[in-house]
Amino acid sequence: MNSISNSRRQFLIKSISAAAVIYIIPALSNKTLAAKPPSQKVSNKTRWAMHIDAAKCADGCTACVDACNEENGLYGFNRPKTDPQWIRKIKIKDINTDKVTTLPMLCQHCENPPCCDVCPTGASFRRIDGIVMVNQHTCIGCRYCMMACPFKARSFVHENLTQQLTTAPRGKGCVESCNFCVGRLDSGKEMTACEEACIKEGHHAISFGDLAKPLSRVNTSLKQSPSIKLRADLKLNQRVTYTGF
Amino acid sequence: MISVVRTILILAMIVPSISFSHDNQKHHEGKSKADDLNQCVEPTDVMRKKHFEFLYHQRDLTVIDGIRTKQHSLANCIDCHVSYDSNGIAIPINSEGQFCYTCHIETATKIDCFTCHATIPRYSKKSIYNKINKISMVSQIHSELNKDSHIKYHEQYIE
Repeated sequence: MNSISNSRRQFLIKSISAAAVIYIIPALSNKTLAAKPPSQKVSNKTRWAMHIDAAKCADGCTACVDACNEENGLYGFNRPKTDPQWIRKIKIKDINTDKVTTLPMLCQHCENPPCCDVCPTGASFRRIDGIVMVNQHTCIGCRYCMMACPFKARSFVHENLTQQLTTAPRGKGCVESCNFCVGRLDSGKEMTACEEACIKEGHHAISFGDLAKPLSRVNTSLKQSPSIKLRADLKLNQRVTYTGF
Repeated sequence: MISVVRTILILAMIVPSISFSHDNQKHHEGKSKADDLNQCVEPTDVMRKKHFEFLYHQRDLTVIDGIRTKQHSLANCIDCHVSYDSNGIAIPINSEGQFCYTCHIETATKIDCFTCHATIPRYSKKSIYNKINKISMVSQIHSELNKDSHIKYHEQYIE
C-alpha cells in the first residue's frame, strides 16, 4: 500500500515538473521562444506591435529619429519636403482644450494596409508577422502607396545614394518606410532602434514587442494604459497604438 | 583540307581560353578572404553558371519570408569576395578591377544590385562615411520642421 502511494506521489511530482518545463518556464522567459533560426520562415505566431505613450514623449527630443537614421543609414539632401523620414516627431493640439502633445509618427503597420491595396506590383506587402514593408526588388516607384497612406509614413528616394548599410539596402526610385528594424528582429533582437534610443534617454515612451508573448514590453505597456488607434474610423487596425493625449 | 585544319586550329585556340579563362588566375586587385579558399558555397562551375539564380531566389525568401541563411546571401558574397587594400580598408566590390566588376564587364552584363545594396562588408564601420554630420543634419531638419519653418530652410539652401 505504502509503495503504491509513493509511486503516485512520484508520478504527480514528475508530471507537474514536466508541465512546468513545457508550459510555464517558456511563458515566463522572453528569450526561450525568441530566437528564430535563420533558416526558418517567419510565422503568424509572432505579432509585432508598438505602443507609444505620448505623455512620456519629451518635446524637442529627437533620439528616436536620430537612432532610426543611424540604424538605416538615412541621410538627407537639405530638402525637408522630400528627404526620407521613416520616423518623425510631430506636435498635435487638441482643439477643445488647446493641450499640445508631441509624439513620434511612423508607419502604423496596419492590419488592413491601404498602401498594399493600391500597389500595382505587390511590392507593398504585409509580412505574415505583421510588418508592412516595401519589397524594393519589385517596387516601380509609382508612389501610389504614398498617396494612399493616411499617416504620411512613406518616403521616396529621389537621389542616387551611396554608402548604404548592409542591413538596410535602399536606392533611387523606390519607396521606403519604417519596417520595425526587420533585420534586428530576424536576428533575434526584439527591440527597434527607436525604442532602444528612447529607453536610453530615460523616457520609456516607446514599447515594442510581440503581442503573442504575455510578458513582452508592449503587452505590459498596453495593460497599464488604454490605447488609441489613430483615425480609428478608417478601420485599418494598426499595430502601432498611442496613449497619453 | 586547309579550311578544316584552320577550323581545328582556331577551335584549339578558343576552347581552352573559354574553359580555363579564370582557372588559377586571380582576376581582381587586392587581397580577399575568398583567395585562400578552395571552393565557394557551391562547386565553382555551378557558381559561375548559376550564382544569379541563387541570388534571385534568395532575395524573395529573405524579404518575404524572413529567411536569413548565409549560404546564398548577397551580403555573404560581399563579406568573402571583397578585397582589402594595403591599409586594410575594404574596396567597394563593384569598383573597377574588383570581383563583380571584372567578370560583368567581360561578359557585358549590367547588374543593378549595388544601386541599393552595400558594396563593402557589414560591420566595417571604419570605411563607412562620416555619418555623424549627416545624421545630425537630418535631425536638425526634423526639429526645424516642427517649428513650421521649412521656408527658412529652403532659403538657406538657395543661398
